[in-house]
Amino acid sequence: MGGLPLAFGAPAILFGLVALPVIWWLLRLTPPRPQAEPFAPLAILARVLKPEETPSHSPWWLTALRLLVAALIILALSEPILNPRDKTLSASGPLVLMIDNGWASAPDWDDRVAAAEDLISEARDADVPVSIAFTSDRRNDATPMSASNALEQLLAAAPRPARPERGASVTAVQAALAGTPPGTIAYITDGMASDDGTEALGRLFALGAADVQIIGSATGAPVALTDTSNGSDALQIAATRLATEGSISIPVTARDSRGRDIARGEIAFEGGSNAGTGEITAPFEIRNDIARIDVDAGLTAAGVRLVDDSFRRRRVALISGEAADLAQPLLSPLYYIDKALSPYADLIHAQSADLAKSIPALIERQPAIIVMADIGSLPEQEAVELEQWIENGGTLVRFAGPRLAAADNDTLTPVTLRRGERELGGALSWDAPQPLADYPEGSPFAGLPVPRDVTVNRQVLAEPSADLAARTWASLADGTPLVTAADRGDGRIVLFHVTAEAGWSNLPISGHFVDMLRRVVQLSNNVGRAGGSSNAVLPPYQLLSAAGALLPASGDAKPLDLSAGRTPRAGPDNPPGLYGTEDGYVALNLFQSDERIEPLDIPDAGAPVSRASLGRGDALDLKPWLFGAALLGLLIDTLIVLVMGGALRRLSRRRVTAATVIVFAAGFALLVAAPGAIAQDSQPGDVDIVDKLDQTHMAYVITGDDEVDRISREGLNGLSSYLANRTALEPGEPVGVDIETDQLSFYPLIYWPMSEQAPMPSEAAISRIDAYMKNGGSVLFDTRDRIDDLGGATAGPTRRLQAILSGLDIPPLEPVPSDHVLTKAFYLLDVFPGRYADGPLWVEATAASQEEATAERPARAGDGVSSILITSNDFAAAWAEDENGNRLYPTVPNDPWQREYAYRAGVNIMMYMLTGNYKSDQVHIPALLERLGQ
Amino acid sequence: MASIGRLIDPTPRLDVLARARMRASLLPDCLAEARRVANTVIAGWHGRRKRGIGETFWQFRPYVDGEAQSRIDWRRSARDDHLYVRDREWEAAHTVWLWADLSPSMHYQSDLAIASKESRALVLMLAIAELLSRSGERIGCPGVMEPVSSRSAAERLAVALSHASLEGGMPDLTHVGRMSDVVLISDFLDEEASLERTIAPAAQRGVRGHAVEIHDPAEERFPYSGRTEFRDPETGQKLVAGRAETIAEDYRRAWQARRVAMSEAIRRKGWSFLAHGTDRLASEALATLHGHLSGLPTTGGERS
Repeated sequence: MGGLPLAFGAPAILFGLVALPVIWWLLRLTPPRPQAEPFAPLAILARVLKPEETPSHSPWWLTALRLLVAALIILALSEPILNPRDKTLSASGPLVLMIDNGWASAPDWDDRVAAAEDLISEARDADVPVSIAFTSDRRNDATPMSASNALEQLLAAAPRPARPERGASVTAVQAALAGTPPGTIAYITDGMASDDGTEALGRLFALGAADVQIIGSATGAPVALTDTSNGSDALQIAATRLATEGSISIPVTARDSRGRDIARGEIAFEGGSNAGTGEITAPFEIRNDIARIDVDAGLTAAGVRLVDDSFRRRRVALISGEAADLAQPLLSPLYYIDKALSPYADLIHAQSADLAKSIPALIERQPAIIVMADIGSLPEQEAVELEQWIENGGTLVRFAGPRLAAADNDTLTPVTLRRGERELGGALSWDAPQPLADYPEGSPFAGLPVPRDVTVNRQVLAEPSADLAARTWASLADGTPLVTAADRGDGRIVLFHVTAEAGWSNLPISGHFVDMLRRVVQLSNNVGRAGGSSNAVLPPYQLLSAAGALLPASGDAKPLDLSAGRTPRAGPDNPPGLYGTEDGYVALNLFQSDERIEPLDIPDAGAPVSRASLGRGDALDLKPWLFGAALLGLLIDTLIVLVMGGALRRLSRRRVTAATVIVFAAGFALLVAAPGAIAQDSQPGDVDIVDKLDQTHMAYVITGDDEVDRISREGLNGLSSYLANRTALEPGEPVGVDIETDQLSFYPLIYWPMSEQAPMPSEAAISRIDAYMKNGGSVLFDTRDRIDDLGGATAGPTRRLQAILSGLDIPPLEPVPSDHVLTKAFYLLDVFPGRYADGPLWVEATAASQEEATAERPARAGDGVSSILITSNDFAAAWAEDENGNRLYPTVPNDPWQREYAYRAGVNIMMYMLTGNYKSDQVHIPALLERLGQ
Repeated sequence: MASIGRLIDPTPRLDVLARARMRASLLPDCLAEARRVANTVIAGWHGRRKRGIGETFWQFRPYVDGEAQSRIDWRRSARDDHLYVRDREWEAAHTVWLWADLSPSMHYQSDLAIASKESRALVLMLAIAELLSRSGERIGCPGVMEPVSSRSAAERLAVALSHASLEGGMPDLTHVGRMSDVVLISDFLDEEASLERTIAPAAQRGVRGHAVEIHDPAEERFPYSGRTEFRDPETGQKLVAGRAETIAEDYRRAWQARRVAMSEAIRRKGWSFLAHGTDRLASEALATLHGHLSGLPTTGGERS
């Protein structure tokens, strides 16, 4: 093949190039085909058509172009390949194909399959059987089979979220070959060491192959996340990958349980190192939501770090000795703890002051921390329970106080305490209040800046003991411990030697207190993880695929056995994923925190070894490029022929114009349509709403009784015109509202005449009215039955009103007292007649009516406006007038002044609705003016 | 790149059966269209306007001694002392010979035209036939149908056309009577001498004639460009123009000159000449032709 690395798949076709001169000759002879047109008046045309010199053959460059196209097509058909792969398959025995399909093979699995396919097709050509084994599959049947069967098996295989088990695969191959020496051993590897990898390969090569091909990945090595830990201000991530030359930085993304991106970070690998670290900086609150951490590029099962509940926000239970007194929250022992921890933890409070009830209840809710502020002795049963909980990993945080100081033999303290408290800087003390000392080295508070303004006036003291210093997390300047802690089982007891409120020190009101509590909370464990107890066997909940996707658990995963105390290593039986249930689960990750990826050491094969990298490598199939070039040449040729044939001139008539118009119109339409589509935020009915808001409207309820509704409309019309004439209020047209559907909040007053003929409004409508009244609207109920009422029997509309009111939340009512604002809101009134004269008007009883009945104030404060008014006087009929201003209904008795008073009553009601108790203040004006000296 | 013009109905000449079937399917359409067009023009067409033999009432006139007493209209005469005779309107028929050229050159339609020339010619012919038959004229077609006077003459002409061929060049007008009218509808693209030969003897006998030239707008305007091969649909002769747009001007001039010469020659014989392009509506030509047939007094004697 000389110097040019070019191979042809079908070299025979190259003989087609011989035909080029013939093509050239034909092309030269063929002029461009003319456009054929039928034309009847040919005789006339013949007279004017001079014999014209049409070129008998096309120009030479056009011919050259066409020859080039023909040559390109011939070359493309001969399937040239640049940098072809050598074919070196030994035909002396079966092809043994071993493929790593562990987690690391997921990113370039397709390339691996392609490489294996090439090998299998070579085996088919050479007619040798193929024995195929996948190192991560649990079972391998490596029996030599025909190439087509092997291909089927290859295509059915998929990468597994597990480590390769090379030893088992090689054993399977050994068993399948049964002594037959293989021809070629091809191993498509991920290049990472496994426990028995080198030993297994040694056994494989010992089979005596004619030659060995090792095919490794060409792309970057995949990354495995090995550990995450929650630091004080960032999430620390540890990772491992195959060591490479240069240092590299790998972006990672933290996602929440729904897969949303919530934070990003980077992992840095030094050159030549197989371990890297990185961090994701995010606020503590956000870090609580993290459910998994993904490597951005080339995601694999190991590139995902699943995070379970133990990583989450802690649940903190708060118990204090005294009943919470809402009147003085700043003196409540839990107030500062509550404020300090609520951003970082879920707080639960004791429901009962009775410790015997509250402690079991709180433990049942499985808090990570229980904070007890100044609790002396515990009931014995509960103390045992609490101790058990601490043994299981709970963290008990206690604050001192008078009760603790007085308690005898309290076992739930980290150090033995002296009875009584020590007072510093008091009247009987020589000592000044003590500031904090620097935190000791091993203390969790180490690193926090020590505040100099925090002083301690009073504390409980620990009995000196040998391990007191070791148990001290913080101490005062004089060396007495301020915070002590002791481990109990898996849990811990932390004692603050001061109170949780500011009585003994100003620590709780300093910002430092928040930092200290946060550290304590971060140190705590989440108790009661999935399953409740630690010796549970957890079913698979969601499992990782090799590509790092979390999928519902499949059949062949076994439950995770936690009884050994330690989380078992992920393997074929326990693929990485989440185990447990939706409520609580344990995350099982592929890599443990101490594992590192090492390169696979391939032993000496004892046979010629060729190494290749995945993919076609440099082999480049020129066929598509050549075809593309030929197509391009054909396009150019077509354009040239079109131009020579006069197509452009032909097109330049009206078709081009039409096409241009269409294109421009479409473009313009797009431009115009786009902003129009954005501005679609108006809703149907907006215009109505704006109309109603523009002007004050009175409203009446459409009862469904046409007669009543007509009177309501006419009545409110009459009142509106009266209001417009006499007052500053010019109401708009009265509006009939359907209380089932219409928006009610636009109207200050809704007039609701009762009618027995009308259908009863639905529950939903009544509750809408209720909401309207609660939100500040008022309803004027009118039973219109004063005339029927005189007999004493309850009339129909009243019964209807009772039915409606039974669904409403109605305050106590009273007839309008003589000093109510309603009597003074515009006119001075003492009666509220309608069509009938003497029915009372009921309003919400003023709260202070009893107490202040005797007060000499001329008007009651009447805070707020009565949300309900009830009359039986048939206001609307008295107000009703037609378009010409004629009164429609006579009053009973027929007295013109009664109608006038009815209007005045309406005006007062409306003014009362709109101005509230403003008028009741106005009555003070004389006194105020007098006081001002006028 | 589609060609501008195309041959409509390109049937082989020998395929008579298919041709006839296609003609039959084409004709009812044309006839329907002819009826519609005729309806738009019929208003204002008022019979002979003179007394004579006929069926419809024309006038009462005083009885003149010597007339047959049976002609007296007694009902009218009983109303006063005079005797009246009922006159009827003269309804004598005139013979009009219609002929349309349906040779292959007529089967042509360009993109600029509404219909093919043949379709347009048939529409015009049948529309005139409809108009004339409605007013009681006798209609014939030389070589196809003897003159008939019938209300359904247009249908009968259509049926006759579907069985006959009008491809044989200009018609034989030797049998056409002296006082008849002849309407020739064609593209007149045959050699000019044949037209002369047809018209001249008839015109000498006093036959009044109307020539309607149907042309396609593409034939008049010559909108071709680029390398174009022109083919005569009748003879199959071909001409290749290297750049058709260069000869467009010359062609248009020649076309106009030929038309002027032809129309002059026809008018000189006392015939009327009407040029009609297929991009115009058929009713335009129909109205003009209608005017020529009814209004323009050329030879006289029809109206006394």
